[in-house]
Amino acid sequence: MKKAVIIFKKEIKEIIKNKTIWLPVIIVVIIFSIAMPMAFILGSGTILEDVDTVNFINKVFGSVDDPLKVLIGFILKQLLILLLLIPAMVPSLIAPSSVLMEKENKTLEPLLATPIKTSELLIGKTLTALVPSFITSTICFIILTIVVDIIAFIKLGYLPLPTLEWVIVAFILSPLLSFIITMISIIVSSKSTDIKSAQGIGSMVILPIYLVIGLQLAGIFLINITYLLIGCLILLAVCPLVLKLAVRVFDRENIVTNWKIKT
Amino acid sequence: MIKVENLSKKFGDITAVENISFDIGKSEIFGFLGPNGAGKTTTIRMLATIISPNSGNITIDGRDSKENGEYIRSIIGILTESPGMYEKISAYDNLDYFSRFYGLSEEGRRKNIEKYLKMFDLWDRKDDPAGTYSKGMKQKLALSRALIHEPKILFLDEPTAGLDPESAYMVRNFIEGLKKEKITVFLCTHNLAEASSLSDRVCIIKRKIIKIATLDELQNSDKNTRVEITFNDKAERYMGLMNKINELKNIELDGNKAIVTIEKPETSNPKVIKKIMDDGAQILYFNEVKATLEEIYLSLIKDEESR
Repeated sequence: MKKAVIIFKKEIKEIIKNKTIWLPVIIVVIIFSIAMPMAFILGSGTILEDVDTVNFINKVFGSVDDPLKVLIGFILKQLLILLLLIPAMVPSLIAPSSVLMEKENKTLEPLLATPIKTSELLIGKTLTALVPSFITSTICFIILTIVVDIIAFIKLGYLPLPTLEWVIVAFILSPLLSFIITMISIIVSSKSTDIKSAQGIGSMVILPIYLVIGLQLAGIFLINITYLLIGCLILLAVCPLVLKLAVRVFDRENIVTNWKIKT
Repeated sequence: MIKVENLSKKFGDITAVENISFDIGKSEIFGFLGPNGAGKTTTIRMLATIISPNSGNITIDGRDSKENGEYIRSIIGILTESPGMYEKISAYDNLDYFSRFYGLSEEGRRKNIEKYLKMFDLWDRKDDPAGTYSKGMKQKLALSRALIHEPKILFLDEPTAGLDPESAYMVRNFIEGLKKEKITVFLCTHNLAEASSLSDRVCIIKRKIIKIATLDELQNSDKNTRVEITFNDKAERYMGLMNKINELKNIELDGNKAIVTIEKPETSNPKVIKKIMDDGAQILYFNEVKATLEEIYLSLIKDEESR
Protein backbone atom coordinates (compact mmCIF):
# COMPACT_ATOMS: atom_id res chain seq x y z
CA MET A 1 0.00 0.00 0.00
CA LYS A 2 2.93 2.31 0.75
CA LYS A 3 4.08 2.04 -2.86
CA ALA A 4 0.56 2.78 -4.12
CA VAL A 5 0.67 5.98 -2.05
CA ILE A 6 4.03 6.91 -3.66
CA ILE A 7 2.37 6.66 -7.08
CA PHE A 8 -0.68 8.55 -5.89
CA LYS A 9 1.34 11.45 -4.43
CA LYS A 10 3.45 11.86 -7.57
CA GLU A 11 0.44 11.73 -9.87
CA ILE A 12 -1.50 14.27 -7.84
CA LYS A 13 1.44 16.68 -8.15
CA GLU A 14 1.32 16.21 -11.92
CA ILE A 15 -2.46 16.70 -12.06
CA ILE A 16 -2.12 19.98 -10.18
CA LYS A 17 0.32 21.12 -12.86
CA ASN A 18 -1.94 19.94 -15.70
CA LYS A 19 -4.63 22.55 -16.25
CA THR A 20 -6.19 20.60 -19.12
CA ILE A 21 -7.46 18.29 -16.39
CA TRP A 22 -8.52 20.62 -13.61
CA LEU A 23 -9.76 23.60 -15.65
CA PRO A 24 -12.77 21.79 -17.17
CA VAL A 25 -13.54 20.37 -13.71
CA ILE A 26 -13.59 23.84 -12.13
CA ILE A 27 -15.79 25.16 -14.94
CA VAL A 28 -18.27 22.30 -14.52
CA VAL A 29 -18.29 22.75 -10.72
CA ILE A 30 -19.04 26.47 -11.10
CA ILE A 31 -21.79 25.81 -13.64
CA PHE A 32 -23.49 22.92 -11.81
CA SER A 33 -23.13 23.96 -8.20
CA ILE A 34 -23.33 27.76 -8.43
CA ALA A 35 -24.62 29.14 -11.73
CA MET A 36 -27.37 26.62 -12.48
CA PRO A 37 -29.00 26.49 -9.01
CA MET A 38 -28.85 30.27 -8.74
CA ALA A 39 -30.45 30.71 -12.14
CA PHE A 40 -33.12 28.07 -11.45
CA ILE A 41 -34.17 29.33 -8.04
CA LEU A 42 -33.95 33.02 -8.86
CA GLY A 43 -35.92 32.44 -12.03
CA SER A 44 -38.41 29.94 -10.56
CA GLY A 45 -41.10 32.59 -10.03
CA THR A 46 -40.93 33.66 -13.68
CA ILE A 47 -40.95 30.03 -14.85
CA LEU A 48 -44.30 29.53 -13.12
CA GLU A 49 -45.79 32.28 -15.29
CA ASP A 50 -45.28 29.94 -18.24
CA VAL A 51 -48.45 27.93 -18.99
CA ASP A 52 -46.53 24.93 -20.35
CA THR A 53 -44.52 24.65 -17.11
CA VAL A 54 -47.69 24.76 -14.98
CA ASN A 55 -49.27 22.12 -17.24
CA PHE A 56 -46.14 19.98 -16.87
CA ILE A 57 -46.29 20.23 -13.04
CA ASN A 58 -49.98 19.32 -13.07
CA LYS A 59 -49.27 16.38 -15.38
CA VAL A 60 -46.43 14.96 -13.28
CA PHE A 61 -47.51 15.88 -9.73
CA GLY A 62 -51.28 16.39 -10.06
CA SER A 63 -52.82 19.32 -8.26
CA VAL A 64 -50.41 20.78 -5.68
CA ASP A 65 -50.77 23.44 -2.97
CA ASP A 66 -47.45 25.16 -3.54
CA PRO A 67 -46.34 24.77 -7.16
CA LEU A 68 -43.18 26.84 -6.53
CA LYS A 69 -41.91 24.44 -3.84
CA VAL A 70 -42.77 21.49 -6.06
CA LEU A 71 -40.99 23.07 -8.99
CA ILE A 72 -37.86 23.76 -6.91
CA GLY A 73 -37.94 20.19 -5.58
CA PHE A 74 -38.21 18.94 -9.15
CA ILE A 75 -35.35 21.16 -10.34
CA LEU A 76 -33.19 19.99 -7.44
CA LYS A 77 -33.81 16.38 -8.50
CA GLN A 78 -32.47 17.28 -11.96
CA LEU A 79 -29.49 19.01 -10.40
CA LEU A 80 -28.90 16.03 -8.17
CA ILE A 81 -28.54 13.78 -11.20
CA LEU A 82 -26.62 16.42 -13.13
CA LEU A 83 -24.14 16.55 -10.28
CA LEU A 84 -23.36 12.89 -10.90
CA LEU A 85 -21.56 14.14 -13.98
CA ILE A 86 -18.77 15.34 -11.66
CA PRO A 87 -17.84 11.92 -10.18
CA ALA A 88 -18.23 10.53 -13.69
CA MET A 89 -16.25 13.21 -15.45
CA VAL A 90 -13.25 13.59 -13.11
CA PRO A 91 -12.02 9.98 -13.29
CA SER A 92 -12.69 9.82 -17.03
CA LEU A 93 -10.32 12.78 -17.41
CA ILE A 94 -7.66 11.67 -14.91
CA ALA A 95 -7.38 7.89 -15.32
CA PRO A 96 -6.68 7.85 -19.08
CA SER A 97 -4.20 10.68 -18.67
CA SER A 98 -2.45 8.79 -15.87
CA VAL A 99 -2.21 5.49 -17.76
CA LEU A 100 -1.45 6.96 -21.19
CA MET A 101 1.24 9.20 -19.66
CA GLU A 102 3.08 6.05 -18.56
CA LYS A 103 2.74 4.60 -22.04
CA GLU A 104 3.88 7.80 -23.76
CA ASN A 105 6.89 8.19 -21.50
CA LYS A 106 7.65 4.45 -21.71
CA THR A 107 7.97 4.38 -17.94
CA LEU A 108 5.92 1.24 -17.35
CA GLU A 109 8.80 -1.17 -17.83
CA PRO A 110 11.23 0.66 -15.51
CA LEU A 111 8.38 1.01 -13.02
CA LEU A 112 7.56 -2.71 -13.17
CA ALA A 113 11.24 -3.49 -12.70
CA THR A 114 11.09 -1.93 -9.22
CA PRO A 115 9.87 -4.05 -6.28
CA ILE A 116 6.28 -2.95 -6.87
CA LYS A 117 3.35 -5.34 -7.17
CA THR A 118 0.96 -4.83 -10.07
CA SER A 119 -1.85 -4.57 -7.53
CA GLU A 120 -0.02 -1.62 -5.93
CA LEU A 121 0.31 0.00 -9.34
CA LEU A 122 -3.40 -0.49 -9.97
CA ILE A 123 -4.33 0.85 -6.53
CA GLY A 124 -2.04 3.87 -7.05
CA LYS A 125 -3.66 4.66 -10.40
CA THR A 126 -7.15 4.11 -8.98
CA LEU A 127 -6.53 6.41 -6.01
CA THR A 128 -5.20 9.05 -8.40
CA ALA A 129 -8.55 9.20 -10.16
CA LEU A 130 -10.79 8.33 -7.24
CA VAL A 131 -9.59 10.73 -4.53
CA PRO A 132 -9.82 13.93 -6.62
CA SER A 133 -13.17 12.73 -7.88
CA PHE A 134 -14.51 12.18 -4.36
CA ILE A 135 -13.10 15.48 -3.09
CA THR A 136 -14.43 17.46 -6.07
CA SER A 137 -17.85 15.82 -5.87
CA THR A 138 -18.13 16.43 -2.12
CA ILE A 139 -17.06 20.07 -2.52
CA CYS A 140 -19.54 20.42 -5.34
CA PHE A 141 -22.39 18.95 -3.27
CA ILE A 142 -21.50 21.19 -0.32
CA ILE A 143 -21.28 24.34 -2.48
CA LEU A 144 -24.58 23.49 -4.14
CA THR A 145 -26.26 22.93 -0.77
CA ILE A 146 -24.97 26.23 0.59
CA VAL A 147 -25.90 28.17 -2.57
CA VAL A 148 -29.38 26.60 -2.82
CA ASP A 149 -30.14 27.06 0.89
CA ILE A 150 -28.97 30.68 1.00
CA ILE A 151 -30.94 31.71 -2.08
CA ALA A 152 -33.99 29.63 -1.19
CA PHE A 153 -34.00 30.99 2.38
CA ILE A 154 -33.75 34.61 1.21
CA LYS A 155 -36.30 34.21 -1.56
CA LEU A 156 -38.69 31.61 -0.18
CA GLY A 157 -37.90 31.37 3.52
CA TYR A 158 -36.98 27.67 3.71
CA LEU A 159 -33.94 25.38 3.38
CA PRO A 160 -34.56 22.73 0.71
CA LEU A 161 -31.24 20.89 1.25
CA PRO A 162 -29.88 18.48 2.33
CA THR A 163 -32.44 15.73 1.81
CA LEU A 164 -32.01 11.98 2.26
CA GLU A 165 -31.84 11.61 -1.54
CA TRP A 166 -29.07 14.18 -1.46
CA VAL A 167 -27.07 12.19 1.11
CA ILE A 168 -27.47 8.94 -0.86
CA VAL A 169 -26.34 10.54 -4.11
CA ALA A 170 -23.42 12.43 -2.54
CA PHE A 171 -22.01 9.71 -0.31
CA ILE A 172 -23.03 6.37 -1.84
CA LEU A 173 -23.99 6.70 -5.49
CA SER A 174 -21.32 9.22 -6.39
CA PRO A 175 -18.29 7.26 -4.97
CA LEU A 176 -19.60 4.02 -6.52
CA LEU A 177 -19.97 5.72 -9.87
CA SER A 178 -16.48 7.21 -9.57
CA PHE A 179 -15.01 3.80 -8.86
CA ILE A 180 -16.74 2.14 -11.81
CA ILE A 181 -15.77 4.90 -14.22
CA THR A 182 -12.19 4.84 -12.94
CA MET A 183 -11.96 1.11 -13.60
CA ILE A 184 -13.57 1.43 -17.04
CA SER A 185 -11.25 4.32 -17.92
CA ILE A 186 -8.22 2.27 -16.86
CA ILE A 187 -9.36 -0.71 -18.92
CA VAL A 188 -10.06 1.48 -21.96
CA SER A 189 -6.74 3.34 -21.54
CA SER A 190 -4.76 0.12 -21.50
CA LYS A 191 -6.06 -0.60 -25.01
CA SER A 192 -5.94 2.99 -26.28
CA THR A 193 -3.07 4.57 -28.11
CA ASP A 194 -3.84 8.21 -27.33
CA ILE A 195 -5.32 10.19 -24.46
CA LYS A 196 -8.17 11.82 -26.38
CA SER A 197 -9.64 8.56 -27.66
CA ALA A 198 -9.32 7.02 -24.18
CA GLN A 199 -11.09 10.00 -22.60
CA GLY A 200 -13.71 9.91 -25.35
CA ILE A 201 -14.51 6.23 -24.92
CA GLY A 202 -14.32 6.54 -21.12
CA SER A 203 -16.73 9.45 -21.11
CA MET A 204 -19.33 7.38 -23.03
CA VAL A 205 -20.21 5.75 -19.73
CA ILE A 206 -21.68 9.11 -18.72
CA LEU A 207 -24.51 8.58 -21.22
CA PRO A 208 -26.81 6.69 -18.77
CA ILE A 209 -26.80 9.81 -16.58
CA TYR A 210 -28.17 11.86 -19.47
CA LEU A 211 -30.77 9.16 -20.01
CA VAL A 212 -32.01 9.49 -16.41
CA ILE A 213 -32.16 13.29 -16.76
CA GLY A 214 -34.05 12.94 -20.05
CA LEU A 215 -36.58 10.51 -18.53
CA GLN A 216 -37.15 12.86 -15.60
CA LEU A 217 -37.66 15.86 -17.86
CA ALA A 218 -40.10 13.87 -19.99
CA GLY A 219 -42.07 13.13 -16.86
CA ILE A 220 -41.70 9.38 -17.38
CA PHE A 221 -39.62 8.76 -14.31
CA LEU A 222 -38.83 10.65 -11.14
CA ILE A 223 -35.92 9.88 -8.85
CA ASN A 224 -36.87 8.85 -5.33
CA ILE A 225 -35.19 7.01 -2.45
CA THR A 226 -36.22 3.57 -3.76
CA TYR A 227 -34.85 4.20 -7.24
CA LEU A 228 -31.66 5.61 -5.81
CA LEU A 229 -31.14 2.59 -3.58
CA ILE A 230 -31.80 0.26 -6.51
CA GLY A 231 -29.25 2.29 -8.48
CA CYS A 232 -26.73 1.88 -5.65
CA LEU A 233 -27.29 -1.88 -5.57
CA ILE A 234 -26.80 -2.15 -9.34
CA LEU A 235 -23.59 -0.12 -9.18
CA LEU A 236 -22.41 -2.17 -6.21
CA ALA A 237 -22.90 -5.34 -8.25
CA VAL A 238 -20.98 -3.86 -11.19
CA CYS A 239 -18.00 -2.84 -9.00
CA PRO A 240 -16.44 -6.33 -8.58
CA LEU A 241 -16.91 -7.05 -12.28
CA VAL A 242 -15.01 -3.97 -13.45
CA LEU A 243 -12.41 -4.52 -10.73
CA LYS A 244 -11.85 -8.08 -11.95
CA LEU A 245 -11.44 -6.86 -15.52
CA ALA A 246 -9.03 -4.11 -14.47
CA VAL A 247 -6.94 -6.60 -12.48
CA ARG A 248 -6.76 -8.81 -15.56
CA VAL A 249 -5.64 -5.85 -17.67
CA PHE A 250 -3.04 -4.94 -15.03
CA ASP A 251 -1.11 -8.14 -15.53
CA ARG A 252 2.66 -7.47 -15.53
CA GLU A 253 3.28 -9.39 -18.75
CA ASN A 254 0.26 -7.89 -20.48
CA ILE A 255 1.43 -4.37 -19.61
CA VAL A 256 4.96 -4.92 -20.94
CA THR A 257 4.08 -6.79 -24.10
CA ASN A 258 0.64 -5.52 -25.14
CA TRP A 259 0.29 -1.94 -23.91
CA LYS A 260 1.28 0.07 -26.95
CA ILE A 261 1.23 3.73 -27.87
CA LYS A 262 1.24 5.55 -31.21
CA THR A 263 4.81 6.47 -32.11
CA MET B 1 24.77 -14.91 -8.90
CA ILE B 2 22.45 -15.76 -11.79
CA LYS B 3 21.61 -19.34 -12.74
CA VAL B 4 19.38 -20.00 -15.72
CA GLU B 5 18.21 -23.52 -16.55
CA ASN B 6 16.35 -24.55 -19.69
CA LEU B 7 14.52 -21.27 -19.99
CA SER B 8 11.92 -20.90 -22.73
CA LYS B 9 9.44 -18.20 -23.59
CA LYS B 10 6.72 -18.14 -26.22
CA PHE B 11 4.43 -15.30 -27.27
CA GLY B 12 1.50 -17.04 -28.91
CA ASP B 13 2.98 -19.26 -31.59
CA ILE B 14 6.28 -17.40 -31.68
CA THR B 15 9.15 -18.81 -29.66
CA ALA B 16 11.22 -15.89 -28.41
CA VAL B 17 13.68 -17.88 -26.30
CA GLU B 18 14.24 -21.63 -26.48
CA ASN B 19 15.77 -23.74 -23.80
CA ILE B 20 18.64 -21.49 -22.75
CA SER B 21 20.91 -22.20 -19.78
CA PHE B 22 23.84 -20.29 -18.31
CA ASP B 23 25.46 -19.22 -15.05
CA ILE B 24 26.83 -15.80 -14.24
CA GLY B 25 29.21 -15.32 -11.35
CA LYS B 26 29.39 -12.49 -8.84
CA SER B 27 30.90 -9.28 -10.27
CA GLU B 28 31.15 -10.84 -13.71
CA ILE B 29 30.38 -8.75 -16.80
CA PHE B 30 28.38 -11.02 -19.05
CA GLY B 31 27.98 -9.83 -22.63
CA PHE B 32 24.72 -10.94 -24.19
CA LEU B 33 24.85 -10.63 -27.95
CA GLY B 34 22.51 -11.45 -30.78
CA PRO B 35 20.73 -9.96 -33.77
CA ASN B 36 17.44 -8.07 -33.45
CA GLY B 37 14.66 -10.40 -32.38
CA ALA B 38 17.12 -12.94 -30.98
CA GLY B 39 15.41 -12.91 -27.58
CA LYS B 40 17.81 -10.64 -25.68
CA THR B 41 15.20 -8.23 -24.29
CA THR B 42 12.84 -11.10 -23.52
CA THR B 43 15.62 -12.80 -21.55
CA ILE B 44 16.36 -9.60 -19.60
CA ARG B 45 12.65 -9.21 -18.84
CA MET B 46 12.45 -12.76 -17.54
CA LEU B 47 15.58 -12.35 -15.43
CA ALA B 48 14.23 -9.08 -14.05
CA THR B 49 10.96 -10.92 -13.20
CA ILE B 50 8.99 -8.49 -15.34
CA ILE B 51 7.61 -11.39 -17.36
CA SER B 52 7.46 -15.09 -16.55
CA PRO B 53 9.04 -17.90 -18.55
CA ASN B 54 6.89 -20.68 -19.99
CA SER B 55 9.36 -23.22 -18.71
CA GLY B 56 12.73 -23.41 -17.01
CA ASN B 57 14.15 -21.96 -13.83
CA ILE B 58 15.88 -18.76 -12.86
CA THR B 59 17.80 -18.46 -9.61
CA ILE B 60 19.13 -15.05 -8.66
CA ASP B 61 21.18 -14.44 -5.53
CA GLY B 62 20.25 -17.96 -4.45
CA ARG B 63 16.50 -17.39 -4.73
CA ASP B 64 14.05 -18.86 -7.18
CA SER B 65 12.50 -16.14 -9.35
CA LYS B 66 9.00 -17.60 -9.26
CA GLU B 67 8.48 -17.00 -5.54
CA ASN B 68 10.86 -14.11 -4.99
CA GLY B 69 10.04 -11.60 -7.71
CA GLU B 70 9.80 -8.68 -5.33
CA TYR B 71 13.12 -9.51 -3.63
CA ILE B 72 14.86 -9.99 -6.98
CA ARG B 73 13.56 -6.68 -8.29
CA SER B 74 14.86 -5.02 -5.13
CA ILE B 75 18.45 -6.13 -5.78
CA ILE B 76 18.59 -5.51 -9.50
CA GLY B 77 18.85 -2.35 -11.55
CA ILE B 78 17.72 -2.23 -15.12
CA LEU B 79 18.43 0.07 -18.01
CA THR B 80 15.66 -0.63 -20.47
CA GLU B 81 15.90 -0.29 -24.26
CA SER B 82 14.27 3.11 -24.11
CA PRO B 83 15.21 5.42 -21.19
CA GLY B 84 11.56 5.87 -20.07
CA MET B 85 11.49 9.03 -17.99
CA TYR B 86 8.61 11.24 -16.87
CA GLU B 87 9.21 14.07 -19.31
CA LYS B 88 7.39 16.79 -17.42
CA ILE B 89 9.08 16.36 -14.07
CA SER B 90 12.66 17.23 -13.22
CA ALA B 91 15.55 14.78 -13.42
CA TYR B 92 15.90 14.99 -9.64
CA ASP B 93 12.22 14.23 -9.06
CA ASN B 94 12.34 11.34 -11.54
CA LEU B 95 15.15 9.72 -9.54
CA ASP B 96 13.53 10.58 -6.23
CA TYR B 97 10.27 8.96 -7.35
CA PHE B 98 11.87 5.70 -8.48
CA SER B 99 14.18 5.49 -5.46
CA ARG B 100 11.18 5.59 -3.11
CA PHE B 101 10.08 2.14 -4.33
CA TYR B 102 13.28 0.68 -2.89
CA GLY B 103 12.52 2.01 0.57
CA LEU B 104 15.52 4.35 0.69
CA SER B 105 15.48 6.91 3.50
CA GLU B 106 15.16 10.58 2.57
CA GLU B 107 18.84 11.11 3.36
CA GLY B 108 19.85 8.01 1.39
CA ARG B 109 17.81 9.14 -1.58
CA ARG B 110 19.28 12.64 -1.52
CA LYS B 111 22.83 11.30 -1.22
CA ASN B 112 22.49 8.77 -4.03
CA ILE B 113 20.70 11.14 -6.38
CA GLU B 114 23.47 13.69 -5.92
CA LYS B 115 26.15 11.01 -6.34
CA TYR B 116 24.86 9.67 -9.65
CA LEU B 117 23.74 12.97 -11.15
CA LYS B 118 27.19 14.37 -10.46
CA MET B 119 28.87 11.21 -11.75
CA PHE B 120 27.03 11.54 -15.07
CA ASP B 121 27.45 15.34 -15.31
CA LEU B 122 23.76 16.03 -14.90
CA TRP B 123 23.81 17.78 -11.54
CA ASP B 124 23.76 21.29 -13.01
CA ARG B 125 20.53 20.47 -14.80
CA LYS B 126 18.91 18.46 -12.02
CA ASP B 127 15.89 20.76 -11.83
CA ASP B 128 15.17 20.75 -15.57
CA PRO B 129 12.30 18.58 -16.79
CA ALA B 130 13.60 15.30 -18.20
CA GLY B 131 11.77 16.11 -21.45
CA THR B 132 14.26 18.92 -22.13
CA TYR B 133 17.21 16.51 -21.97
CA SER B 134 19.01 15.28 -25.08
CA LYS B 135 18.87 11.56 -25.94
CA GLY B 136 22.30 11.01 -24.43
CA MET B 137 21.41 12.87 -21.22
CA LYS B 138 18.23 10.81 -20.88
CA GLN B 139 20.27 7.65 -21.29
CA LYS B 140 22.63 8.80 -18.51
CA LEU B 141 19.66 9.70 -16.35
CA ALA B 142 18.19 6.24 -16.95
CA LEU B 143 21.51 4.72 -15.98
CA SER B 144 21.46 6.79 -12.78
CA ARG B 145 17.98 5.45 -12.08
CA ALA B 146 19.16 1.88 -12.58
CA LEU B 147 21.89 2.49 -10.00
CA ILE B 148 20.04 4.67 -7.51
CA HIS B 149 19.44 1.87 -4.99
CA GLU B 150 22.96 0.42 -5.47
CA PRO B 151 21.88 -2.91 -6.93
CA LYS B 152 23.83 -6.16 -6.79
CA ILE B 153 23.02 -6.95 -10.41
CA LEU B 154 22.72 -4.51 -13.27
CA PHE B 155 20.92 -5.33 -16.52
CA LEU B 156 21.99 -2.99 -19.27
CA ASP B 157 20.14 -3.04 -22.57
CA GLU B 158 22.19 -1.05 -25.09
CA PRO B 159 23.76 1.28 -22.51
CA THR B 160 25.69 3.42 -24.99
CA ALA B 161 23.04 3.61 -27.72
CA GLY B 162 22.47 7.20 -28.70
CA LEU B 163 25.39 8.54 -26.70
CA ASP B 164 28.05 10.79 -28.20
CA PRO B 165 31.55 9.23 -28.27
CA GLU B 166 32.65 11.09 -25.13
CA SER B 167 29.63 10.00 -23.10
CA ALA B 168 29.85 6.45 -24.48
CA TYR B 169 33.48 6.32 -23.36
CA MET B 170 32.49 7.57 -19.92
CA VAL B 171 29.72 4.98 -19.61
CA ARG B 172 32.04 2.18 -20.71
CA ASN B 173 34.61 3.23 -18.13
CA PHE B 174 31.88 3.32 -15.57
CA ILE B 175 30.71 -0.21 -16.45
CA GLU B 176 34.28 -1.43 -16.21
CA GLY B 177 34.51 0.17 -12.76
CA LEU B 178 31.45 -1.74 -11.57
CA LYS B 179 33.62 -4.83 -11.26
CA LYS B 180 35.42 -3.22 -8.32
CA GLU B 181 32.07 -2.52 -6.70
CA LYS B 182 31.29 -6.28 -6.96
CA ILE B 183 28.28 -5.61 -9.16
CA THR B 184 27.29 -8.29 -11.65
CA VAL B 185 26.56 -6.81 -15.06
CA PHE B 186 24.37 -8.36 -17.72
CA LEU B 187 25.31 -6.38 -20.78
CA CYS B 188 23.10 -6.57 -23.82
CA THR B 189 24.60 -4.75 -26.77
CA HIS B 190 24.96 -4.60 -30.53
CA ASN B 191 28.27 -2.83 -30.11
CA LEU B 192 30.65 -5.75 -30.43
CA ALA B 193 33.76 -3.70 -29.74
CA GLU B 194 32.15 -2.61 -26.48
CA ALA B 195 31.16 -6.18 -25.60
CA SER B 196 34.66 -7.33 -26.44
CA SER B 197 36.38 -4.74 -24.26
CA LEU B 198 34.02 -5.02 -21.28
CA SER B 199 32.81 -8.60 -21.03
CA ASP B 200 34.44 -11.37 -19.06
CA ARG B 201 32.40 -13.81 -21.09
CA VAL B 202 30.04 -13.40 -23.98
CA CYS B 203 26.93 -15.32 -24.85
CA ILE B 204 25.78 -15.29 -28.47
CA ILE B 205 22.10 -15.99 -28.80
CA LYS B 206 19.67 -16.36 -31.61
CA ARG B 207 16.57 -17.71 -29.88
CA LYS B 208 18.83 -20.53 -28.65
CA ILE B 209 22.31 -20.10 -27.26
CA ILE B 210 24.90 -20.40 -30.00
CA LYS B 211 28.02 -20.01 -27.88
CA ILE B 212 29.13 -18.96 -24.40
CA ALA B 213 32.84 -18.33 -23.93
CA THR B 214 35.51 -15.82 -23.06
CA LEU B 215 36.91 -13.80 -25.94
CA ASP B 216 40.16 -15.81 -25.77
CA GLU B 217 38.26 -19.08 -25.97
CA LEU B 218 36.28 -17.80 -28.94
CA GLN B 219 39.42 -16.67 -30.73
CA ASN B 220 41.26 -19.93 -30.04
CA SER B 221 38.33 -22.08 -31.04
CA ASP B 222 38.70 -20.87 -34.62
CA LYS B 223 40.45 -23.71 -36.52
CA ASN B 224 41.64 -21.28 -39.20
CA THR B 225 44.22 -18.62 -38.44
CA ARG B 226 44.38 -15.20 -40.01
CA VAL B 227 47.93 -14.20 -40.77
CA GLU B 228 49.36 -10.88 -41.83
CA ILE B 229 52.34 -11.22 -44.20
CA THR B 230 54.38 -8.07 -44.71
CA PHE B 231 56.54 -8.03 -47.86
CA ASN B 232 59.36 -5.67 -48.68
CA ASP B 233 57.41 -4.62 -51.73
CA LYS B 234 53.80 -4.18 -52.86
CA ALA B 235 51.91 -7.34 -51.89
CA GLU B 236 50.04 -7.14 -55.20
CA ARG B 237 53.23 -8.33 -56.94
CA TYR B 238 52.98 -11.64 -55.12
CA MET B 239 49.26 -12.23 -55.69
CA GLY B 240 49.86 -14.75 -58.47
CA LEU B 241 52.27 -16.63 -56.25
CA MET B 242 49.93 -16.66 -53.26
CA ASN B 243 47.02 -17.84 -55.39
CA LYS B 244 49.06 -20.92 -56.28
CA ILE B 245 49.64 -21.87 -52.61
CA ASN B 246 46.76 -24.18 -51.61
CA GLU B 247 47.08 -23.49 -47.88
CA LEU B 248 46.23 -19.79 -48.35
CA LYS B 249 42.60 -18.68 -48.45
CA ASN B 250 40.70 -15.37 -48.41
CA ILE B 251 43.62 -13.22 -49.52
CA GLU B 252 43.20 -9.51 -48.85
CA LEU B 253 45.80 -6.96 -49.87
CA ASP B 254 46.72 -3.74 -48.14
CA GLY B 255 49.85 -2.02 -49.45
CA ASN B 256 52.81 -4.18 -48.58
CA LYS B 257 50.62 -6.46 -46.52
CA ALA B 258 48.58 -9.51 -47.39
CA ILE B 259 46.07 -10.79 -44.85
CA VAL B 260 45.33 -14.44 -45.44
CA THR B 261 43.58 -17.35 -43.80
CA ILE B 262 45.73 -20.43 -43.26
CA GLU B 263 44.22 -23.79 -42.43
CA LYS B 264 46.07 -25.89 -39.84
CA PRO B 265 48.70 -23.16 -39.20
CA GLU B 266 51.01 -25.35 -37.10
CA THR B 267 51.81 -27.52 -40.13
CA SER B 268 51.04 -25.09 -42.95
CA ASN B 269 52.94 -21.99 -41.82
CA PRO B 270 56.52 -23.33 -42.44
CA LYS B 271 55.45 -24.62 -45.86
CA VAL B 272 53.85 -21.33 -46.83
CA ILE B 273 56.87 -19.31 -45.75
CA LYS B 274 59.21 -21.62 -47.65
CA LYS B 275 57.12 -21.47 -50.84
CA ILE B 276 57.02 -17.69 -50.78
CA MET B 277 60.73 -17.32 -50.03
CA ASP B 278 61.63 -19.90 -52.72
CA ASP B 279 59.90 -17.75 -55.26
CA GLY B 280 62.16 -14.83 -54.39
CA ALA B 281 59.80 -12.80 -52.26
CA GLN B 282 61.12 -11.09 -49.13
CA ILE B 283 58.97 -11.52 -46.03
CA LEU B 284 59.59 -8.82 -43.44
CA TYR B 285 56.96 -9.93 -40.90
CA PHE B 286 54.67 -12.94 -40.51
CA ASN B 287 52.12 -12.26 -37.73
CA GLU B 288 49.05 -14.01 -36.46
CA VAL B 289 45.96 -11.77 -36.55
CA LYS B 290 43.42 -12.61 -33.84
CA ALA B 291 39.86 -12.65 -35.12
CA THR B 292 37.77 -9.83 -33.68
CA LEU B 293 34.60 -10.56 -31.77
CA GLU B 294 32.73 -9.05 -34.69
CA GLU B 295 34.26 -11.56 -37.12
CA ILE B 296 33.59 -14.46 -34.78
CA TYR B 297 30.05 -13.26 -34.09
CA LEU B 298 29.22 -12.87 -37.78
CA SER B 299 30.67 -16.25 -38.57
CA LEU B 300 28.72 -17.96 -35.77
CA ILE B 301 25.47 -16.26 -36.74
CA LYS B 302 26.05 -17.19 -40.39
CA ASP B 303 26.70 -20.81 -39.42
CA GLU B 304 23.52 -20.83 -37.34
CA GLU B 305 21.47 -19.39 -40.20
CA SER B 306 22.80 -21.95 -42.65
CA ARG B 307 21.72 -24.84 -40.42
